[in-house]
Amino acid sequence: MTPERFAQLAEAYGGHLHRWPSAEQAQAQALLDAGDAGVLEVLHQARWLDGQLDGYQLAPVDPALARQIRQSFPQRQSFWARYAGWLSPAGFVGVGIAGIAAGILVASLSVPLPMLGPEVLPSVFDQGDAEVVFTVNAEESEQ
Amino acid sequence: MKDTDPDVELLARIGNNEPAAINEMVTRKLPRLLALASRILGDADEARDVAQESFLRIWRQAASWRSGEARFDTWLHRVVLNLCHDHLRRRKERPLHDEEAMNEVVDNAPAPDEQLEAAARSEHMAQALASLPDRQREAIVLQYYQELSNIDAAALMNISVEALESLLSRARRNLRSYLDDTPGPARPGRGKP
Repeated sequence: MTPERFAQLAEAYGGHLHRWPSAEQAQAQALLDAGDAGVLEVLHQARWLDGQLDGYQLAPVDPALARQIRQSFPQRQSFWARYAGWLSPAGFVGVGIAGIAAGILVASLSVPLPMLGPEVLPSVFDQGDAEVVFTVNAEESEQ
Repeated sequence: MKDTDPDVELLARIGNNEPAAINEMVTRKLPRLLALASRILGDADEARDVAQESFLRIWRQAASWRSGEARFDTWLHRVVLNLCHDHLRRRKERPLHDEEAMNEVVDNAPAPDEQLEAAARSEHMAQALASLPDRQREAIVLQYYQELSNIDAAALMNISVEALESLLSRARRNLRSYLDDTPGPARPGRGKP
């Protein structure tokens, strides 16, 4: 590395080699180790400005800001939790409707319908019908 | 760029809604991105706005973050820089008075003499940094204060490494000139170049 390149790098990256491009650090260190007075002076000047830059101190992070930012995280909920608000009443309504439907079904099967007597709607268990059927069959077979 | 991104695991935990991961992300990144925004903008309130908006984007991005495309820290720097650019653009459209700018970035709490002197030096340097053209200030903040590699800083600024070096050199020359020309706090043994 030439002293000119060393000066360019110090002017751009400052007086500490660890901030320089990694590919050039070893060569720069070798030049420094050679003890060139001009190179050392360049580094001294660059370090003065580094010290000025380091003097720019920021206020510590406000804990209230950190808290606000934590609270800004959107609370994602699971599928069931997300829909729990309306699933719960909907479930009650659904169960109620199902119960009513089941009740109507049971009632219709167990209670005879008042408007529909045996004469209107003969039952397959009606003994009289069986007699008619057997009688008709007997007559047909005799013919 | 090929090494493992240290933030990927944390992002995955945030994607799983782990409260401890959310706290850790704030602890890990808030000081860094607030410092970036503060030094680019020179205004504490605007820097807070940028920090809050940046974290909203982190929360949105965490669950779907795909490693291998860009390092998370680089992506985050780009987000913060873009938000800072928006603020700077708006500021140019609506010029601020000098007293409005530089709004309490430096800690102004009452302090003993040496702390007062440090605060004065900090303020002086803050003004020097604020006096730089935007691109020069951005270059030196990314390379010096954020300690990004020259390759990462150049990539964030969409310029070549050579162009970055040129910006850095001009920035440091201008800073030195500002500090020499403007009265700052007395410094014994000041090594003026």
